[in-house]
Amino acid sequence: MAKKRDKTRPTKDQAAPAETQKKARTQDATDQPAGNGGNHVGRQAPEIHNPVKTGGVQSGGRQRLTRDDIKPGATIAAARNAAGNPYLPEPATIVEIVPETHNIKSFRVRFDDDQVMENFSFAPGQVGQLGIFGVGESTFAINSSPSNKDYLQFSVMRTGEVTTALHNLSVGDKVGVRAPMGCGFPVDEWKGKKIFYIMGGIGSAALRATIHYTLEHRADYDDITILYGARSPDDLTYKYDIDDWMARDDLNAVITIDREVPGWDKRVGFVPAVLEEEQPRPKDTIAITCGPPIMIKFVLQSLEKLQFTDDQIYTTLEKRMKCGIGICGRCNMGPRYVCVDGPVFSMAELRELPDEM
Amino acid sequence: MKFLPQDQLEAFLSHLAESAIVVAPQRDQDGVLFFQPWEAGAEVEFEQLLTRQSPKDYVFRQTETYLKFGYEMKGKAAAEEEEVGKKSKEGELAAAEEAPPEGEEPAHEVLQVEAVEDAPEQVIFGLRPCDARGYYQMDQVFGGYGGFYYDPYYMAKREATTLVALTCAQPWSTCFCTAVYGSPSGTDGVDLLLTGIEGGFTAEAVTERGEMLLGFGGFTEVGDGQADAAQTVKDEAFTAIDPPFEIEGVPQGLRDNFEDPAWHDLHMRCISCGTCTYVCPNCYCFNITDEMVEKSGERVRTWDNCFNPGYTLETSGHNPREQKFARFRNRFSHKFSYYPEKYDSLLCSGCGRCIRYCPTKIDLREVIRTLGQPHPDQAAPAEDGEAAGVHAQTGEDL
Repeated sequence: MAKKRDKTRPTKDQAAPAETQKKARTQDATDQPAGNGGNHVGRQAPEIHNPVKTGGVQSGGRQRLTRDDIKPGATIAAARNAAGNPYLPEPATIVEIVPETHNIKSFRVRFDDDQVMENFSFAPGQVGQLGIFGVGESTFAINSSPSNKDYLQFSVMRTGEVTTALHNLSVGDKVGVRAPMGCGFPVDEWKGKKIFYIMGGIGSAALRATIHYTLEHRADYDDITILYGARSPDDLTYKYDIDDWMARDDLNAVITIDREVPGWDKRVGFVPAVLEEEQPRPKDTIAITCGPPIMIKFVLQSLEKLQFTDDQIYTTLEKRMKCGIGICGRCNMGPRYVCVDGPVFSMAELRELPDEM
Repeated sequence: MKFLPQDQLEAFLSHLAESAIVVAPQRDQDGVLFFQPWEAGAEVEFEQLLTRQSPKDYVFRQTETYLKFGYEMKGKAAAEEEEVGKKSKEGELAAAEEAPPEGEEPAHEVLQVEAVEDAPEQVIFGLRPCDARGYYQMDQVFGGYGGFYYDPYYMAKREATTLVALTCAQPWSTCFCTAVYGSPSGTDGVDLLLTGIEGGFTAEAVTERGEMLLGFGGFTEVGDGQADAAQTVKDEAFTAIDPPFEIEGVPQGLRDNFEDPAWHDLHMRCISCGTCTYVCPNCYCFNITDEMVEKSGERVRTWDNCFNPGYTLETSGHNPREQKFARFRNRFSHKFSYYPEKYDSLLCSGCGRCIRYCPTKIDLREVIRTLGQPHPDQAAPAEDGEAAGVHAQTGEDL
């Protein structure tokens, strides 16, 4: 799997260190694809540019046009042909459902069209609209690894209409996927830096693809720390990942729960408090946080206390979304739409926007 | 420029109706003026300046089915259903479950999805330049200008639409197009501009599409003084509008005044009904819902109303714009500050319908006058003359 990834996404870790190779194998074991593993050697994936945040300015991307692409009149038809129909979901099938907690399930879906599946690529941090025809669509982070060409994973907490309907689905049921959307994390800009993930609850879903990406490209980054907190041990998602993180010696995983429970041998305390205990040094470090709004708020305060600057802090936001393509109007914070300008924002960008989080 | 004699108007409409749906302002049975499909013999009304609603519905539908889908069971389960009532061949079915025989598919659901395309050729006839400008401004959003996605549903209809606009001779008191870079004879988005003069209309092609319309045989060359007469109509209409605010600086002003307490005062009587958004030729926000009957359904998009609390309500219960003043502020900021940051225009063409039809008499002009003035110094707001007076006044109310 790592080898195939290197073909499409050439990086410095052509000669992956032993632990990364081991990781790749471990992932094969845990992220067992249900479908054909896909020996698509020889086929060339088309150039798809997945936008990532670059210095706070978004770059262009898949199906996204610039002012020069569209001029009234002559070029409209050409632009339409190039752009396709962004409202049309790609039919997909659930190949596996992983129960994560009492109210969170991870859905592994494969596009019904093998060609689409094969050509699909995304930047870590990008999101997708997962929907059921007849119920509706909602936005979720794509949390499988970008190198995983066998399925896309979405983790869904049962809360509303669409999420409840999704929870009632079984393996083999049909869904519709519109993905990828938005901008991913600038993982290339972070090369050589220390990475400090700070996440709480279901916030882990928004960062999982990025964690996988940085671990698969382990040699590109300095120290990696994952601080993950949940209310109780039962509320921790991706226990299969956590076991792997704890076993690895090339990353520091700090797992915490809010209140002491019998048999718990890891940390106890709220995420911001544990963060301050850990005292990450801001020098050459990127802090990435996602979790409940209240957690993010206090994490940002703690990071400020630890003297992180605004351009060292990244987060990913969620909003109610409908179109997912920057038109329908509801996910804006000032002039920026979370669906296309986000969901990834640096703290420096957020400071420029009105406080409508 | 050509001239269309008054007695050739119906013939021109009939000519257009040969190859397209003609939509023109007509009164409904209650006497309310709306844009409606025109049929030969129907009376077109140009006396009243503006229709109740803008004609945006003909390109950006109030309700539009854009996707149809259906589920179907195939394979073993379907066979099972067929066999209801018969004696089931349990042994065979069990065997099929373990290993479906060659050629027989295991039970699976088949999903069919079909995009709905519906974009008939149409001519919107007799709309005012502000309504045409509404399209021009929505075109940038749906057309993917500035790095966004291209909306195939809107754009297919827009491409199939010809706009024949009519210069406003006598603007209403609520008109303020000249304050937002428009004009009673503006040509943004317009293909053919008609101007009413004695005995008929002068006709100017703005686009190639408009030029083609001038091929109709009823047009004559403009006679002596007709062009001048048209220019006089335009000039008089332009000067008849007294711009209620100075637009320069409004985008910055709204940014500066984001936290201004005047928002709390101005929004008070708003009842979140959304009338302003529905009558607006520029408002384009929409909702998407699925409708399902048994095994087939539709995905529908409908006009939405940003004043509705549910517009931004998240399933967790969190609402980024929970309070009404925040939603109120968002609408004006979107039109005069957020949109111009992304596109080459404002999201308001000055038709004044929102002022005219607001049940609580909220006046966009007042909002912009009050909150659209940039602060000379953000650290010490409300120090210059006009702004200071306004803020002091609203401060008292609070």
